[in-house]
Amino acid sequence: MIRFDGAAKRHPDGTLAVEGLDLTVPAGRTTVLVGPSGCGKTTILRMVNRMVEPTAGRVLLDGTDVAQLDAAKLRRGIGYVIQQAGLFPHRRVIDNVATVPYLLGWDRKRARTRASELLELVGLPPETARRYPFQLSGGQQQRVGVARALAADPPLLLMDEPFSAVDPVVRSGLQDELLRLQAELNKTVLFVTHDIEEAVRLGDQIVVLREHGRIAQVADPATLLAAPADEQVAAFLGRDRGLRGLALRPAEGIVLLAANTPLDGWTLAVDQEGRPTGWQRSAETIRQVAVFRPGLDTLRTALDSAVLSPARVAVAVDHAGRVIGLAPRAAVLDALDAAGPDTAAGITATGVADGR
Amino acid sequence: MGDEPLVRWHWIGTHLGYLRDLLLDHAVISLLPVLFGLLMALPLGLLCVRFPRLYQPLAAVFNVIYALPALAVFVVLIPYTGLATQATVMTPLTCYALAVLLPTTVDGLRSVPEPVRQAATALGYGPWRRLAAVELPTAVPYLVAGLRVAAVSSISLASVGALVGRGGLGYLFMDGFQRTFPTPIVAGIVLVTALALVTDAVLLLARRLLAPWARRESVVGR
Ligand SMILES: Nc1ncnc2c1ncn2[C@@H]1O[C@H](COP(=O)(O)OP(=O)(O)OP(=O)(O)O)[C@@H](O)[C@H]1O
Ligand SMILES: [Mg+2]
Repeated sequence: MIRFDGAAKRHPDGTLAVEGLDLTVPAGRTTVLVGPSGCGKTTILRMVNRMVEPTAGRVLLDGTDVAQLDAAKLRRGIGYVIQQAGLFPHRRVIDNVATVPYLLGWDRKRARTRASELLELVGLPPETARRYPFQLSGGQQQRVGVARALAADPPLLLMDEPFSAVDPVVRSGLQDELLRLQAELNKTVLFVTHDIEEAVRLGDQIVVLREHGRIAQVADPATLLAAPADEQVAAFLGRDRGLRGLALRPAEGIVLLAANTPLDGWTLAVDQEGRPTGWQRSAETIRQVAVFRPGLDTLRTALDSAVLSPARVAVAVDHAGRVIGLAPRAAVLDALDAAGPDTAAGITATGVADGR
Repeated sequence: MGDEPLVRWHWIGTHLGYLRDLLLDHAVISLLPVLFGLLMALPLGLLCVRFPRLYQPLAAVFNVIYALPALAVFVVLIPYTGLATQATVMTPLTCYALAVLLPTTVDGLRSVPEPVRQAATALGYGPWRRLAAVELPTAVPYLVAGLRVAAVSSISLASVGALVGRGGLGYLFMDGFQRTFPTPIVAGIVLVTALALVTDAVLLLARRLLAPWARRESVVGR
């Protein structure tokens, strides 16, 4: 657990980077800092590993003021990932990943074995181990950066816009990877981004910041989208925050019609296994069928499926892709209503944190 | 030079041992200073990067030395180091090498991209350890580039030492000129060129071995 206790940073030139931050970062969860450029996110992150020393206040790591710890030793116990990956150009991938184990004095063999495990963990093929960083794509470099941060199995991970330099498809892949890793490893993650989508996707707790590191709101993603603290936060979240909030709700409790029900003259064609192959109406055929998996996918996917279908129904499939039923748009919206007390009105009472 | 042929093969044939001795002497008095220069440039460069205020004054001193004509320096040194000694020639050559190598060392050490430097710090390298493990290897291509310039100019400058009695192959130029006998001059030019080319090839090979990661990058395209 990290606790910022009135932590402030004023640079020698007088710039006030962070005014005085009170924040608790819970252990084993992902906390995301979002906010406009220059609001002090990187500064806050670096106060934790002492790359920035607070000019007032303290940062406590599991109850100990980090200022009392040896900086280099402290850092070896904290994973750190940055936007440009920052891999050592002169070291092979495997030795890049083994950096902290080497620093901790592990013998070469053990460090490399560990590094290979990590390359596998972040989904890099074994043949990348012998390459130099310049021989990797941006996305691969970013994976190596994550593997390097995890090498000595630190309980805490600091990530400063780690995925913002890669294209959206790769970014989304890396985010999935991080979610998978986090489900497996349960690290305390402090993640910086200025992409609100990314924050909502990755965060258990989101901290929205204003200039000088002032906290605008601390909340879990669903609460944040449903009940922004004020106009400014709402504006920052963007216009379709309601729809994006659907992505945080599981598609559950949707009443389904039988798969062979004709709707508006449209019927759903399936193959022998029962997987959808297209929509048919007399001579017309539409091959693309958007589907959702009840319980696994979100209400957003369900709604998307309903919007895309010519018959105006969402197609529910099981984990193997076999059709289990059809959900008219109204049924999807009913499921949303059923989630009732969880939406905006219900959340305001409990959700909006007070900045700690 | 009248009807004297450009090359008298007979002279070369009878002076092989002499030519070899001159070549070795030339290699020593020109390349040893580059090695000394490197050995001094590395610690000085590290200090300059760690304590940036040192760099400007040091660089200024060596630039001034670099601007002095070699011959003048040789002559000034004679009372201290003696005529026709290696030291007379090698002292200024070391200074010249250092004048070239100090800025390249500093540039090289500073060429580490900011994110790489920060990542190194964040992973737990202390300042000196980071200099040795990250900055120094990154500087290798720069160092090699500096060494190539320093070595070739040192090889060419060393010839001037012949005027104060210790110039390796440079002696062939004086000898041939005084006797209007072109053969030693041609032999000298060929040997000096060969020495420069071989030295350069060795340095490129060293770069390949020491910095394989830089093979395809033109880090030193300046
Ligand atoms: N060394 C420094 N000297 C003076 N001011 C600085 C220094 N480093 C950062 N700042 C200032 O502190 C403020 C916060 O910087 P910081 O890097 O933490 O912002 P950020 O939220 O990470 O921004 P971005 O999203 O652009 O990365 C900025 O106004 C910046 O200009
Ligand atoms: Mg930043």
